Amino acid sequence: MKKIGKSTFFIVFALIALLSFSSIVGLDYQFGDVPKTYIKGVDDIRLGIDIKGGVDVTFAPADDYDAKENQLDSATAVIKTRLSSLGITDSEVYSDTKSDRIIVRFPWQAGETDFDPEAAVKELGETAELTFREGTSTGEDENGEPILPETIVISGADIDSASPMTQQDETTKEIEYVVSLKLKDTGTEKFAEATARLAGSDTPISIWMDNTMLSAPTVNNAITDGKAIITGNFTADSAKKLADQINSGALPFKMETKSFKTISPTMGEGSLDAIILAAAIAFIFIAVYMIFLYRLPGAVAVIALAGQVTGSIAFVTGWFGFMNGSTLTIPGIAGMILAVGMGVDANIITGERLKEELRAGKSLDSGIKTAYKKAFSAILDGNVTNVLIAIILMGAFGVPSSFFSKILNKTIFFMFGATAEGVVYSFGFTLLAGVILNFVMGVFAARLMLTSLSKFKCFRNRKLYGGDAE
Amino acid sequence: MSKKKKTQAEAVAVPSKIYDFCSKKKMILGIFIGVIVVLLVGLIARGVNFAIEFKGGTMLTYSYSGDVDTNAVKDTVKGVVNSNVNVRRGESLDDGGNQLIISFTSNEGLTVDRQTELTNALRTAFPDNAIELYDSNDVNPSSGREFLLKCMVAVIFAAVVIIIYIAFRFRNIGGWLAGLSSVVALLHDVLVAITTSVILGFEFNSNTVAVILTILGYSINNTIVIYDRIRENHALMPKAELHEVINLSNTQSLKRSIRTSITTVSTMFIITVVVLVTGYDSLLTFSVPLMMGLISGTYTSIFVAPVTWQWWMGKKSAKAKKA
Repeated sequence: MKKIGKSTFFIVFALIALLSFSSIVGLDYQFGDVPKTYIKGVDDIRLGIDIKGGVDVTFAPADDYDAKENQLDSATAVIKTRLSSLGITDSEVYSDTKSDRIIVRFPWQAGETDFDPEAAVKELGETAELTFREGTSTGEDENGEPILPETIVISGADIDSASPMTQQDETTKEIEYVVSLKLKDTGTEKFAEATARLAGSDTPISIWMDNTMLSAPTVNNAITDGKAIITGNFTADSAKKLADQINSGALPFKMETKSFKTISPTMGEGSLDAIILAAAIAFIFIAVYMIFLYRLPGAVAVIALAGQVTGSIAFVTGWFGFMNGSTLTIPGIAGMILAVGMGVDANIITGERLKEELRAGKSLDSGIKTAYKKAFSAILDGNVTNVLIAIILMGAFGVPSSFFSKILNKTIFFMFGATAEGVVYSFGFTLLAGVILNFVMGVFAARLMLTSLSKFKCFRNRKLYGGDAE
Repeated sequence: MSKKKKTQAEAVAVPSKIYDFCSKKKMILGIFIGVIVVLLVGLIARGVNFAIEFKGGTMLTYSYSGDVDTNAVKDTVKGVVNSNVNVRRGESLDDGGNQLIISFTSNEGLTVDRQTELTNALRTAFPDNAIELYDSNDVNPSSGREFLLKCMVAVIFAAVVIIIYIAFRFRNIGGWLAGLSSVVALLHDVLVAITTSVILGFEFNSNTVAVILTILGYSINNTIVIYDRIRENHALMPKAELHEVINLSNTQSLKRSIRTSITTVSTMFIITVVVLVTGYDSLLTFSVPLMMGLISGTYTSIFVAPVTWQWWMGKKSAKAKKA
C-alpha cells in the first residue's frame, strides 16, 4: 500500500465535499429557455406516492368485455411489471373483480416535465400482443385498421425473453437497433416448422404488435435454434420499449381509462417535511454523540457518514450515470436508515478497537492500523449478509427481465408470478447502495482520513483518540 | 506463517470484570415465551389489522366543492363502517373537480344499503360541500396476499442463505449451529416488532413489511459483530471453554453494542417524537415497531444468539461423549 501522507486527508475530504455538494445541489444549466440538468440534485428525486402523492387511474376492459377473475389477476400482474419497466418502481395496484376494474396509482407531481403520465397510462392499457403471422396484411377494414393475416405462427406466449441489440445491416453496413427473441420449446417447434415450409417462397412472415406491423421479412432458411430477430427502423429507445413490452407479457384484453385523477400522499400532505426534520435532528444527535465519544475518530466518522448519506441520495437521483435512479418511498428510507446505522456501527466498532489498542500500550500509528484491520472482519461479514439480503429482495421483487430476477423467479419463487413490487425493491435498492457506500466511506475513506490526520503534529496527542495520556 | 505467529503472541486484553451471560438461560427462555404469550393475547384480543391491499375492502370516490377537513371525513366514515379508514384528496384530470378517495377494509363487499347510509352520513356532516358519490370499487386482496406470501418465502430464503454464509465464515467454531442461533435471534426480534404492532392496534401494511426487512438486516449484523469477536478470541485461546469465550467476547464488545443501539434507537425515537409533534400519525406504524425491534435486536445479539449457540454446542458435545 502506498504511504498515506498529510495531503490525503484534504484530497478525501474534498472528494466527499464535492460528492455531497453536487448530489444535493445538482448541476443545472439554463440555455436560453431550455433548462438542462447535468447532475440531478435533491430537487430531482422522484418521491413515492406515500410521501408526495401521484395519479390514480381506473382501467376497465374496453368494449364491455367480461373479464374472468383469473384474467383480471394476470392483467394486474402484467400492469405491475409494465410499471417497473417504465421506471415506476413505486405503485399501488388494486383489482375489483365485481366490476372488472383495475386501479393503478403511481407517483407524479404536477409540473414534472421529464415524465408524461398520460403517455404512461396509454402504454399501461395497451394489449401489447406480439404475433408472428404468415403473409402480410390483406387490406384495411372499415375503420382504417389493417386486416391481420389469419395464420398465427407464434405469439407472445411462445417467447421466453426479448432483449434490445444492435447489429450491422448486411447491405448498407450501418449499425441498426433490433430486438432479439429467445423462444420457448413450443415456440421453437412451431417456428422451425413454419420457416422450413416458407423457406425460399415469396410468402413473408409478418411481425405485429397489436395492430401495427413491425416488419415482414421473407424466409431464407429454416430456423431451428429458437432464435428470432425483429428489425424495423428502431431507435435505442424504441427497441428497448418493445423488448420490455414483450417481456412484461400481453394483457388478456384491451383496457381503457375510466377515470384519471391526482391523489394526495398516503402519509398525509407535508409528511416529507416531518421526515426531513427528523433526519436532520437525528444526524446532528449522532454527530455530537460520535465526536463526544471518540473525539478525532468521531469527527472523521461524521465526515464519512455525511458522505454515505449524500452518496445514498446520489444513488436514488441517478447521479451515477450507469445506474438508473429509483423512487424514494418510506421503505426506501428504511433501507437508508439501516445502511447508515451499519455505517455508524462500523465507526463505533473501529473507535472501540482503537481505544483498546491504545490502552494496551500500542503506539498511535500501529494502533490505528491494527484497529482497522481487526474491525474489518466484523464489518465485512455483517455487511456482506446485508448485500445478500438486498440482492434477494431486488431479485424477487424487481423487473422480471433483470439478471437476479431471472435466476430467482425460475427457482425459489417458481410458484409465484414474476411480478415486480416497488415497495420492497426500493428497500433493497437503497440498502444495497448504502452498504456499498459503507465500504467506500465508513471503512476506506475513514481510514485514509484518520491515518492522514495522525501525521499532523497537532493531532499526535493520544487523548484525541481515546487513549490514555502519555 | 509469520503473520499467524504474530497474532498468537498478542495477549488477550482481559477486562477487569467479565459478565456471565451464559448463565441466563432461564431468563432468555422466559422472555421468549413472554413475547409469544403477549403476541397471542394481542391476537386473540385485537386481531391483526391488515391493510386494504392484504385484506380487501372498498374504495369510494366522492366529488365535493369547497374545503373539507380529511380528518373529520375520516372520523365520520369510521363511525359508520367501524374499521381502518384512509382518506385522500384528489383532483380529476378529466374535469378538474375535487374528489375524496375513501378506502376501508371490510370482510365482504359494501352493500347498497351501507353505501347509501355512508353517503347520507357524509352529507349530514358536511352539508355545504355538495358531496356526491363518483365511483365505487371493491378491492380484491388476491394480489396483495400473493405479495405477502412471496415476502415470506423471500425472508425464509434469505434466512437460509444467511445460515449458509455464517456456517461457512464461522466453520472453525461450529458454524451451522451459529447460523441457526442467529436466525432464532432474528425470529425473536421480528416477533417483538409484530407484537408491538398488534398490541398498539397498528395497521399491517407495506411499511410493516419494510420494518420486518430492516430488522432482518440489523439483527443479523448485530449478531455477526459478536460472533466475530468470539471467532477472534477462540483463535487466540483455543483451549478455553466456549462459554468462557462467549462471556469474554460479549463483555469486550458490550460497549459497542450499547453505543450502536443508542444511535439507532434514538433515531427511531426522534422520528416518533417529530411525527407525534407534527401530527403525521401514519408514520408511527413504521417508527414504533421498528424502534422496539431494534431494542430487541441489541438484546438478542448479546443474549439469545450466543447463548442458544453455546447451549446447542453443549448438547452436541454431551451426545458425542455418550456415544
